[in-house]
Amino acid sequence: MPLRRFLFAVIAAFALTAHAAELRIGLAADVTSLDPHYLNVAPNNNAAWHVFDALVHVDANVRLVPGLAISWRAIDSTTWEFKLRKGVKFHDGSDFTAEDVIFSLERAATLAASPGPFASFVKPITAKQIVDPWTIRLKTAAPYAMLPHDLNSIFIVSKKAATGARTEDFNSARAAVGTGPYKLLRFARGDRVELARNDAYWGGKSAWDKVTLRILPADTARVAALLAGDLDAIENIPTADLTRLKTNANFRLEQKVSWRTMLLHMDQYRDHPPRLSDKTGKPLAKNPFKDARVRLAVSKAINRRAIVERVMEGDAIAAGNLVSPPVFGYVDALKPEIYEPEAAKKLLAEAGYPDGFALTLYAPNDRYVNDEQVAQTVAQMLARVGIQTKVETMPASVYFGRARAGEFSFALLGWGSFSGDLALRALVATPNADKGYGAWNWGRYSNPKVDALLEQGFATLDEKKREALAREAAMLALKDVPVILLHHQLASWAMKKGIAYRPRTDEYTFAHQFRPQ
Amino acid sequence: MQREQTPLQRIVADFAESRLALSGLAVLTLILLVALFAPLISPQNPYDLAQLDVLDSRLPPGSRSGDGLTFWLGSDDQGRDILSGIFYGLRISLGVGVASTLCAVIIGLTMGLCAAYFGGRTDGVIMRFVDIQLSFPAILIALILLALLGQGIGKTIFALIMVQWAYYARTVRSTALVERRKEYIEAAVCLALPPSRIVFRHLLPNCLPPLIVIATVQVAAAIALEATLSYLGIGVPITEPSLGLLIKNGFDYMLSGKYWISFFPGIALLVTIVSINLVADQLRDVLNPRLQK
Repeated sequence: MPLRRFLFAVIAAFALTAHAAELRIGLAADVTSLDPHYLNVAPNNNAAWHVFDALVHVDANVRLVPGLAISWRAIDSTTWEFKLRKGVKFHDGSDFTAEDVIFSLERAATLAASPGPFASFVKPITAKQIVDPWTIRLKTAAPYAMLPHDLNSIFIVSKKAATGARTEDFNSARAAVGTGPYKLLRFARGDRVELARNDAYWGGKSAWDKVTLRILPADTARVAALLAGDLDAIENIPTADLTRLKTNANFRLEQKVSWRTMLLHMDQYRDHPPRLSDKTGKPLAKNPFKDARVRLAVSKAINRRAIVERVMEGDAIAAGNLVSPPVFGYVDALKPEIYEPEAAKKLLAEAGYPDGFALTLYAPNDRYVNDEQVAQTVAQMLARVGIQTKVETMPASVYFGRARAGEFSFALLGWGSFSGDLALRALVATPNADKGYGAWNWGRYSNPKVDALLEQGFATLDEKKREALAREAAMLALKDVPVILLHHQLASWAMKKGIAYRPRTDEYTFAHQFRPQ
Repeated sequence: MQREQTPLQRIVADFAESRLALSGLAVLTLILLVALFAPLISPQNPYDLAQLDVLDSRLPPGSRSGDGLTFWLGSDDQGRDILSGIFYGLRISLGVGVASTLCAVIIGLTMGLCAAYFGGRTDGVIMRFVDIQLSFPAILIALILLALLGQGIGKTIFALIMVQWAYYARTVRSTALVERRKEYIEAAVCLALPPSRIVFRHLLPNCLPPLIVIATVQVAAAIALEATLSYLGIGVPITEPSLGLLIKNGFDYMLSGKYWISFFPGIALLVTIVSINLVADQLRDVLNPRLQK
């Protein structure tokens, strides 16, 4: 009977739409492009990971796991060999081969007009060789242990689709052909990224047919959208709303220690750093931060527990390491400095500052969780041991430029690293642009022994030995208090009941890792 | 028969006709006194970081701090007493509002008078400047200036002067143009008085009434603009919050029920602006000759 048939079709259609699972996620930061080789910033990479893969992936604890490469090894001290995964298809149905890898490495190195280039990750590679369609060899000038790590940052694009493609072609989804769990449907800058499931994904089919990544940088708006049911999950929960979401039975909260460590840099290279004086504003005879006792006093003056409990509302753990506990090279023996204001005052007096001194603490006001509040709280605590502290905050767009220009003598920085030795290299190694050391060492702490240990470590291809060297370097450096460690942030996600997410240390929000329950 | 009144007496009498304006004036006086004597009547110096303790943060109204101080209106995210914060914040808000308006009036007045008196090219140049400035929204100009200059009370005042002077220049010019053609100015010119004397002794006093009205309204606008800028995080420094910054600090907690951090400073800002506007409205009626009964 035609009517029955019609009814059946209608019911079937309803059933189908009900089954077409859609996931709507609220992201906290703006995605500027879907060209995976354009700008190396976390929000862009987060979006790119949905469409593209890399040779090497990392798991929830930022340890390396196979991606498009199923294995890799150093066949001699300067050659790495990668075995590629067979049978992987791009979104357009073409096969993934070594040609695409070589093309992607070259595109990442040469993409013109890239404001934050990926070139540094491929710079150590001096020669690329295709052994067979599923084996490549990469040569470096010197032994270089970090190559597999670095290749985690290079997304593999399709040679066929991306040849001659510009960044706009990726943004319009024409050239954005990858091997990742989703195909790019539409990218609307500042608003959303729309994705459709790649049924042929090598890593297992995602649970969601359609995914929408909504860009909602305003914290309150993001939380409100989740509460109103406009979104299924959000990342980066403002600390003020944590308790509320935790206690609300309709939502689930997931937290995990992030790889981001908050720290304070202290000028240790100038005799008269800017905005550092005695309490009447007269310049000091010498730079107090050059004295390790003063640096230790500052560290002891800070009540990390109060910051974690009151300012971060439990959304952090006190830091004694440059990297957080799950990360390669973490040293258990390095504990957070104990809060001892009296000892801090004594140390200051010993160093010749019984009355303290005055300085300005700089911080961004839109970059890290509660950055402004953390800076003010640190200022409070320093004021109590006699260091008169002013706080100046500004948007990150202004802040980092001024910090790099050396305008600040005391400044807040948050840093995430794959490993302890990479963190040391960026934050406390003697600055050397040619070697890529100390790029974020604003205070210019310098210890040749630490530098030597790091160099030795990066040339050590054995993971165990390298981790031991990284730990040794960390213990040696942190004994001098080269920076003031504050806390490791927790990364947080909230989702409606019935969805689960395995939280990640690298703070990424991956739609394919959300699962219905 | 009506008794002879001096102009000032007439103004006072007319002003007192409105109960609303009088109560506005009373509230405004109270606010001014509070702002003036804030350091004496505040339970805590909210700008002295050594007096704050983060362990006292976000306490509800009526709680006691670790040092035994009572937070009558609660505390903010740094353990700052909201009541003291409001007292000091009023000081900054009013100070910034009045100082920037005064400077802007002086600049705008001088520019407007010069434009009207000298006319010709001087008039053209000054008024084109004013036109350009008025074609941009005030908040936009202030945002750009502060983004370039950085935070600070002095810089905020400067930015507010820059966005306000053009209003006064335009108003004064139009009034002065009318006055300029009157006989007493012609007489003064015939007496060969120096231009500065004519402008400031003869032209200026006759242009004042509309200016006073606009300036009073603009003080309220300047306070609101300062609050907006601070709310956006580019006005006053974070450790010396004005009302706008206090409201901003509490905004994150609005959804989590800690209303007092934003609510009370918000009320204070509202009351201040309303009372100034009440006074300004009545002043306008009193000083406007066309509304004379």
